[in-house]
Amino acid sequence: MLWRKLIRDIWNNKGSYFACLVIVCIGLVAFTTFSIVTDNLSRALETFYREQNFAHGFVELVSMPESNVQRLARIEGIKDINGRLVKDVRVNTPPEEESVYLRLVSLDLSAPRVVNDARLLAGKELIPGSLAVWLDNEFFTANNLELGDSLEIIAGGRVREITIAGVAMSPEFTYYLPAEADLFPKPEQYGIAFLPLADMALVFPELEGRVNQVVFTLAEDARYEEVRDRLLPELEPYGLIRIYPRDDQLSHLMLTEEINGLKGIAKAFPFMFLSIAAVILYIMLKRLIEQQRGQIGILKALGYTNREIVLHYMSYPLAAGILGGLAGGLAGIGAAVPFTELLLLFFKVPEVPGVFPFSYFFQGLLIAVTIFLIAGYSGSRLALALNPAEAMRPPAPVLGKKFFLENLPFFHALLTMQGKMAVRNITRNPGRSAFLFLGIMLSCALVAVTWSFQDMVDKLAFYQYEEVEAYDARITLARPAASEPVVREVAGHRQVRWAEPLAEIPVSLTNRWREEDIVLIGLPRGSQLYKVLDEKGRKVPLPAEGIILSQRLAEKLAVTPGASIELASPYLRGEEKGVPVAVGGIIPQYLGMNAYMEISALSRLLGYEELATAVLVNVAGEEAIGILRDDYLESDLVAGVDSREERIRQAREMLEYFGIAVYFYVLIGVVIGFAIIYSSSFIVLSERSWELASLRVLGLTPQEVFSVITFEQWFISFFAILAGLPLGKAILHGLAAQLDTDMYSVPTTLTPDCLFAGVVITAFSIWAAQRFALRKVKELSLVEVLKTRE
Amino acid sequence: METPLIVAKNLRKRYRMGEVTVHALRGVDLTLYDGELVVILGPSGSGKSTLLNIIGGMDKPSEGELYFGEKSLHTADEKELTAYRRHEVGFIFQFYNLMPNLTASENVYLAAEIARDPLDVDELLERVGLANRKEHFPSQLSGGEQQRVAIARALAKNPRMLLCDEPTGALDLATGIQILRVLRDFCAGFKKAVVIITHNAAIAQMADRVVTLRDGRIDGVQVNPQPVAPEQVVW
Repeated sequence: MLWRKLIRDIWNNKGSYFACLVIVCIGLVAFTTFSIVTDNLSRALETFYREQNFAHGFVELVSMPESNVQRLARIEGIKDINGRLVKDVRVNTPPEEESVYLRLVSLDLSAPRVVNDARLLAGKELIPGSLAVWLDNEFFTANNLELGDSLEIIAGGRVREITIAGVAMSPEFTYYLPAEADLFPKPEQYGIAFLPLADMALVFPELEGRVNQVVFTLAEDARYEEVRDRLLPELEPYGLIRIYPRDDQLSHLMLTEEINGLKGIAKAFPFMFLSIAAVILYIMLKRLIEQQRGQIGILKALGYTNREIVLHYMSYPLAAGILGGLAGGLAGIGAAVPFTELLLLFFKVPEVPGVFPFSYFFQGLLIAVTIFLIAGYSGSRLALALNPAEAMRPPAPVLGKKFFLENLPFFHALLTMQGKMAVRNITRNPGRSAFLFLGIMLSCALVAVTWSFQDMVDKLAFYQYEEVEAYDARITLARPAASEPVVREVAGHRQVRWAEPLAEIPVSLTNRWREEDIVLIGLPRGSQLYKVLDEKGRKVPLPAEGIILSQRLAEKLAVTPGASIELASPYLRGEEKGVPVAVGGIIPQYLGMNAYMEISALSRLLGYEELATAVLVNVAGEEAIGILRDDYLESDLVAGVDSREERIRQAREMLEYFGIAVYFYVLIGVVIGFAIIYSSSFIVLSERSWELASLRVLGLTPQEVFSVITFEQWFISFFAILAGLPLGKAILHGLAAQLDTDMYSVPTTLTPDCLFAGVVITAFSIWAAQRFALRKVKELSLVEVLKTRE
Repeated sequence: METPLIVAKNLRKRYRMGEVTVHALRGVDLTLYDGELVVILGPSGSGKSTLLNIIGGMDKPSEGELYFGEKSLHTADEKELTAYRRHEVGFIFQFYNLMPNLTASENVYLAAEIARDPLDVDELLERVGLANRKEHFPSQLSGGEQQRVAIARALAKNPRMLLCDEPTGALDLATGIQILRVLRDFCAGFKKAVVIITHNAAIAQMADRVVTLRDGRIDGVQVNPQPVAPEQVVW
């Protein structure tokens, strides 16, 4: 019989109950989806790494005889080792189109076990000597290529034709960027081509028998650091540029960061949502028991035991936990597959067959039910305390009390009687008011933070492309050259208005035991086209001698302006391994982690007259870039001509994807705000229906009566929203600390835009929830309500 | 006494109570005038409260006509009924229906704030004898005091009539008489109509007119040429 009562009670409270279920659902959908997706991705990655023999260590060199690799193989701790040639070449495209590049990566087909092997997805095996290649599938798809198509590449000033034998993917290139300063992959313009080592010699005859990269896997129990130390003396004579572990490899880094992010969401989301749902349930149950104290008394008088009664009331949260858990879990499993597929679009990991992830389903169910039972028990304990006679008596009357702020005369004068009722209701049920406060605060913080995400990504991309880099086009040189004649040549071009040299030099900066490998950017003093800006956006003059570091680099090296650090580089001439250089300043940098120097000071430091690796230009008009490309196509000194406009356009396209995600999170913030206000309005309506009906009888309109509730809610919400903004900022700081990587730093300012969005959107969800609840006031039956004595 | 304030013609009210239909009013004709004190007498279930609720604009008749002056109330919508309750009617209930978190004077101000031509709140509280209790919350007042606050609140709007549903039902004799005194004074002093419904026949002695209700119909109307003073009412 009690079951029937349960179902009817739930039906009577369907508003709050439904809000609760929706929140539980969202939490559990997030839990199951993200858990399954992380699992799938991790497993896919693991399998992929194992099958393709993904390297534990990566070495970049100027050049080394291939025969040396066999000697390195004998070093203790190395399992498999391959030497390879990696070269970027330009694809011969019509001059009016954007430059397209391919990174040629050689595969040592003679090695017993190829490290970083490419997996053939479609097409034929590679036959040495045929200049046939495997293309990475992203580039292949993005450019609408077909198997058997041929491409012209320009290598060392010579045009060669390569044919597409197959489409492949490699764990090393699940995610790759054209340049370190790029934020997004652009597969239509930059791809990977795998070809046999022997064929590399056909393209670059001068490099026959030589390699410029070494990749190796570690034997079991071997530590990367030890192996590196054994390798270093062997590699140094050949111009070691960089040696780094798998953990620093871009593709691996991106994948693991993403998976960790998903894991974090899988934990935080359900916790947040289930807590909110639990509090709503707790309040609802407490209210229900207060309302039904007469019934509880009768049940007790009839001889029902405390246990039976508590179990009865516990069945409400149990039902919510099971219902919400089932719905959320199933929806989560449903969402996992498309979501995994969506992520696999970004991470080119071969799909693994999905397992039936019922463990997460049951875990989610268990978590939901447990949290709810705790909430339910705390809520229904009240029923125990009553003895039957006491339970059947009406509860003690509400004690009127003034709100503490009313002691302020101006505040007191501000309030109408409805206002006074409202503010006094805040202290009437402090627990519920606190819940309302926390919920709205969270909702506001969530909206502001997600809004700022968009802002953040915007800043990441456009600060770099619009503020820092002010050139129209960048002419990248195939090799470092003396800047003066090159700039003079380019500046003399009829389409060029202004030209400046740029030097990008790979360096290692060392402060005692702290070492960072970065790209040092050399700029002319007072550069017009590439600006070094401080946090307020003012130009920072480049010092005559010293080096300017980006904020994050300075933190990593633990240096402040005035300190001296050591600089080493494969471009450094002379006997010295490194030279000291003074830190002249620190600037913020969101995209990439670089250091800056005056270009001639940099050249002198390295032992050159004047060194440039690219020329930045401002041009006469839109068609000028095409003309430049056309004119420099044949030059073996020019590797490519890129327009900044094109980069910005691509960044914008990518941002639209982020935009959708942002709206999704904002929606969640709105749902929280809505559910909290809606359920709290409902609870208040049922609790104070008698008071509210009395007001209606007195002649107050439904709006005026409802304003007692809304005034209370707005009063709390006003402070909650105010508190939500600093909370948002704190969350953003926490996120930024987590998200900061060598590739980008996250700005932590909540702009007025985001604050505004937080306030407006939260206020809107409050308002909308109140509109829904207002209908209930209109439906309030005066006669019915007043018949009963509260 | 000549201008009719309320004219009810053949009022009927049916309720659906689950499976059965309850006929609360089965055709009631009644006219009320300014300045008279009417007692509606009847046992419980006779339809008194339903009649009062309909006259007060809290409920609508299923059939029949109801006029307040020129205004027809049986066709009025919720908005018009709210305005009617707001400006023309003061209600007094058996259980006072005060706002628990407003003080005595604030409860009265609550009504005064929404009225077009409110009476002075302090003066009203003085008249109901609560000048020195006005800063107390309802939970700090006795039943009689709470009912006097409720009367002051109903009067504060300066309504055309007062509708009282068992106003002394929860009070002892002495307190009940005080309440009736206040109601009688208001009726005489302001020339307003006062309707009291009760099942207590003794109270009828102080009325100008006594309407007896039985089974949803008017059983009899009795005009009292010499109403007794509330102090002389005995029950």
